[in-house]
Amino acid sequence: MQIERKTICATLLSLVCVAGCAGNGVGLDQNGQPITAGDMTGGPIQPTLESIEENVFAPICAKCHIGASAPEGLQLDTAAHAYNFLVGVPSAEEPSFQRVNPGNPDLSYMILKIEGASGIEGGQMPLGETPLPQATIDAIRQWVTNGAPNVPGAAAASEVFAVQATAPVDKATVNAPLARILVTFTQEVDASLINDSTVSLERMGDSDLDPDAAVTAESGEKIAAVGALAEHNAAVLLITPNKSLDPGVYRVSIRGTGGGAVANLSAGPLGSDASFVFTVEPAQ
Amino acid sequence: MTGRHSRFARLCLIACLYFGAHAAHAEPYLAVQFGLKCNACHVNPTGGGLRSTFGDVLAQTVIPNAHLDTGMDNWNGSLLNNYLRVGGDLRFDAQVTQEPHTPSNQEFSLEQTRVYLEANVIPDRLLAYVDEQVAPGGALNREAYVLYWSASHDWYLKAGQMYLPFGLRLQDQTAFIQTASGINMTTPDQGVEFGWERGHWDAQLAVSNGTAGGAVTSDGKQYSLNVAYVESIWRFGVAANNNDQSAGAKTAFAVFGGLRTGPISWLAQAEVTDDKSVANDQGRELATLLEANWLIARGHNLKITGEFLNPDRAVPNGEETRWSIVYELTPIQFAQIRTGFRWLDGIPQDPAEHSRLYFIELHGYF
Repeated sequence: MQIERKTICATLLSLVCVAGCAGNGVGLDQNGQPITAGDMTGGPIQPTLESIEENVFAPICAKCHIGASAPEGLQLDTAAHAYNFLVGVPSAEEPSFQRVNPGNPDLSYMILKIEGASGIEGGQMPLGETPLPQATIDAIRQWVTNGAPNVPGAAAASEVFAVQATAPVDKATVNAPLARILVTFTQEVDASLINDSTVSLERMGDSDLDPDAAVTAESGEKIAAVGALAEHNAAVLLITPNKSLDPGVYRVSIRGTGGGAVANLSAGPLGSDASFVFTVEPAQ
Repeated sequence: MTGRHSRFARLCLIACLYFGAHAAHAEPYLAVQFGLKCNACHVNPTGGGLRSTFGDVLAQTVIPNAHLDTGMDNWNGSLLNNYLRVGGDLRFDAQVTQEPHTPSNQEFSLEQTRVYLEANVIPDRLLAYVDEQVAPGGALNREAYVLYWSASHDWYLKAGQMYLPFGLRLQDQTAFIQTASGINMTTPDQGVEFGWERGHWDAQLAVSNGTAGGAVTSDGKQYSLNVAYVESIWRFGVAANNNDQSAGAKTAFAVFGGLRTGPISWLAQAEVTDDKSVANDQGRELATLLEANWLIARGHNLKITGEFLNPDRAVPNGEETRWSIVYELTPIQFAQIRTGFRWLDGIPQDPAEHSRLYFIELHGYF
């Protein structure tokens, strides 16, 4: 089959034209996002959770880290989720590291992941995409160095003390083994009220059990586990089974009523019991 | 003529005869240069990884500047009468990265050490294949699959963890066309692939989890279609991909091709992506690549690449370009030295989009 040289040249010339030149950046912030009226981040990214959430977590990380399918249960779609799923929470891949260890960026697994440091499990984040600009990484590092502060007024904004999110989320399916369960709250929790009478983990049946049936079942096989608040984040409850959970359907229950119920630092109880179920399937 | 010389001449003759009879190959520019499909030189029909016996012959006879005669039979990776075949790839870099307002970074870096293993369970029909990265860091499985070939080798079926078929499979995993789609050799996925390799056609359809080998938590799947028509001096293809995940579907379409004009092999690809999981409809990208590979002399290749990326087609003024000049010297069989530099140009307010990379790489493969 013959192709005329003129056709070839025209095609190549077209591609070069498509390639064009780099943008002049007019109307964009440092991350290439349009600057809008009232934009908080009209300039470079700031070492604050709001700025990082708006410029990095929400537009880039939350493509995957959102909802029930969030890798490792890490949800980054809102600043509230990002704070409670990151700060003081042990990494699922390297449990000896916290995802964000306030004041210690070199001991924060999230920093190692976005820098592509040697020794990390899996790939550099964002996975399969261009690594974050160094200026962005520097800002995130600085936020961690500053103690990884929450959004100013975040606690005050949460007028209602309630369960905020869980990992796994309610009725989600995850692969075995599952080493830790997270429950985050809208306010900090009174650590003295976390015990076997307020937090329980039960195995309700095999992994083919209908999760709806597990919700309504009276009780299941009690699983030995330790409940404790995260080291640097008293709004996060970590439930660590004595051994990794095998395949099956599990239910976590948190008692929010009656004497000694889970309460915030102002002795305000949840006001109602909370529970969620999830299915652990064999490893793939 | 000595025995060693006659052996080398025989290998050259085999390679030349093969070129005369077939149409296809490996790094895509080599495939265009020789007018071959990827499966001519690789066990993986879509390219990359362990070389076929013919690929090993090519790597020892035609590609290097000189053939270093070892006095032994040439390497073909064969163990146990060809029931097992092994191979490997190592890349070690010394590089300098410069970025405005930031001290330059100079480092040695072991980019990768990979080991390949092929078990020919039923010769020419059924094989098991593993591509394992053993360094740096811990072991990391890239590909692991079983592959069944039809008797005529017109079609095949592959199942396991594999690189997904989508356009040109470049060596540079950071090229815009590799990162925009998110489909590259760092994101293999688990699934099945059907391939059609009849005549000039080279086509694949894959269905996979869409999680880049990670845990599956939804029923959504990733569908990859790649179709190319391969002639001796040109080729043209189209590719489509849809990854239906709970956070939102991501679609990508690409057209790609290759052309040989004398000593220059051209590669080109243009792709658009639409990622619905990105808020405010900001996940629509455009990426293009045009690359010229000039075979200056045997074993000497000069690669010039121009790339363009529009990271958000709805937002003007945010475009990026990336240019590369890389000189590849293959002095002897299985050893290559690559040196070059890449420079990025983008919006003025982001220093990272104005970085410069200078590198020299030692590349060993067998």
